[in-house]
Amino acid sequence: MSRLLEVSNLGFSYGDLAALRDVSFTLMSGEVVALIGPNGSGKSTLIMALLGALHGRGKIKWDGVPVHHWSRKHLARYVAYLAQSPIYDPGQTVIEALRLGRAPYWSLFGIESPRDRQVVEEIADRLDLRDILHRALDNISGGQRQRVFVGRALVQEPRAILLDEPNTYLDLKHQVELMSLLRTQSREQNVGVLMASHDLNLAASGADELILLDRGSIVADGKPDEVLDPALLTRVYGVPMERITRVGKPPLVIPQV
Amino acid sequence: MRRWNVLTLLFTIAFCAFMWAIVAFWCMMVASTGYGWPATHEVLLIRGEVVLLSSLVGAALAAAGVTYQAILRNPLADPYLLGVSSGAALFAYLWRLPALTGIATLLGAASQQGFAFAGALIAVFWVLAFASRRGRLEPVTVLLVGVIINALNGSIFLLVYSLVSTLPSSEGALTLLVGGIQTGLTPQQIRAACVVIALGWIILLAISGQLNAAGVGDVEAEALGVRIQRLRWIALVVASLVTASAVAISGPIGFIGLICPHLARLFVGTDQRRLLPVSTAFGAGLLCAADAVSRRLAGEGLAQTLLPVGVLTSLLGGPFFLLLLIRNRRRADVMEGRI
Repeated sequence: MSRLLEVSNLGFSYGDLAALRDVSFTLMSGEVVALIGPNGSGKSTLIMALLGALHGRGKIKWDGVPVHHWSRKHLARYVAYLAQSPIYDPGQTVIEALRLGRAPYWSLFGIESPRDRQVVEEIADRLDLRDILHRALDNISGGQRQRVFVGRALVQEPRAILLDEPNTYLDLKHQVELMSLLRTQSREQNVGVLMASHDLNLAASGADELILLDRGSIVADGKPDEVLDPALLTRVYGVPMERITRVGKPPLVIPQV
Repeated sequence: MRRWNVLTLLFTIAFCAFMWAIVAFWCMMVASTGYGWPATHEVLLIRGEVVLLSSLVGAALAAAGVTYQAILRNPLADPYLLGVSSGAALFAYLWRLPALTGIATLLGAASQQGFAFAGALIAVFWVLAFASRRGRLEPVTVLLVGVIINALNGSIFLLVYSLVSTLPSSEGALTLLVGGIQTGLTPQQIRAACVVIALGWIILLAISGQLNAAGVGDVEAEALGVRIQRLRWIALVVASLVTASAVAISGPIGFIGLICPHLARLFVGTDQRRLLPVSTAFGAGLLCAADAVSRRLAGEGLAQTLLPVGVLTSLLGGPFFLLLLIRNRRRADVMEGRI
């Protein structure tokens, strides 16, 4: 395992409102880390900052190089990003969406190399997208579409993938499928995955580590059974939480209504 | 999966040029008095110039349309509907006024293009300034602002025209308002339009791959390695330049930039690298065919005079636009229902 990302003392404010305070953590290759926390805790802001879309205080280093020293193209070959609800052209086909993932490798006039074609075909096979390659994104299910977007990210051949609440519009089956897909890709391709999630139990079951954010600060960071502390979660989320411990599996937490 | 390499790029361009050449050949056969290849060298030159100019203008407007649609993520965007064409036409007309001859002389051969470009950019600026809300451009608002810009430009045009209509510089100026291939263009004007449109088209083709990424969100486009703000500026400025150069010799011909990209999508999908050359060929073919039809209508006595080609494209484009609007609204309804 090698260190892909190092964040130290990161701070960011929207005007007077502090969105991130002294955030420090690392992301290793082959590791799945879930960012959890209530709305407004800074999960999306942190992901934007990691992509270099926001300029904050502190240090963000990808492969030891500060994020703002990377060229857009080279950073896109190292880190891929999947938005909460990706925007897409409704007429775009699955194959066109996948090919777009090679954009960081295209030369002028969008010229593709043989490698571009090879990677797209490999990912289409790996993600079982062969049968729907020529269907429009508007004509496939939400779960398939999310799989295509994950595929587009993998086509970038990144060392790390950042995902901003990718489960938001998926039903339970597709949420589990997506998490399992990310875990498999992370293990097999040695990719580091950092995903923001609202679902504590799904995050705990799929991630190696959890980072709990509260009002822009990391309040807990570690294995799921360390972070999912009911007293801490009650304080952060503002609702009483109950923890169910399971043998050999991450604990479950449920709000007490 | 066919790889997009230099060979496929050149083949696509050659194929598009061939398809256009077939249409252009047919247009060369269409005279106001009948059908047949031009009998004399003079007629050949005159008809050839009209066919080439209408093709050039159609190609430019279609290329600009496909670019606007991509960069503004708006399937209804078109140089005409955005008000870019009317801005360019107004300034191309102002270029003729004796009061501005001094500036025009300073700018040299491409001075009319320069004026039209300024008008196009001012229109784009107003559209972006008024239709942008928290950094987002709402498709229908963009078009509403475009309508207002069009109305304003048209009014200013007519106001100036009514004030100076007795001057020789206003002769034939109304064609610049309705849209029709100008007659009596100097070789310098034609050359300037050709060079600017050709260079602009090559730039648009060079960024066509990146324009694919413009279809996703801004942050996602950046995460795909595209500097989206820089790309947006380049695309808007170059598309406006191409539009302006066409409008300077034709006036604001409507809907070519709207219809052709959608027709091209039916054949080659949404990939901008294919869409640009194919839309361009459609634009060139459609406008030169519309011009030929206009010639025939006058010849058959169905029209009293030679119809400005803009009238025909609007007759075709208006219903097409309404169809697109209905389709988009239906899609939005479905999407809302799903969510």
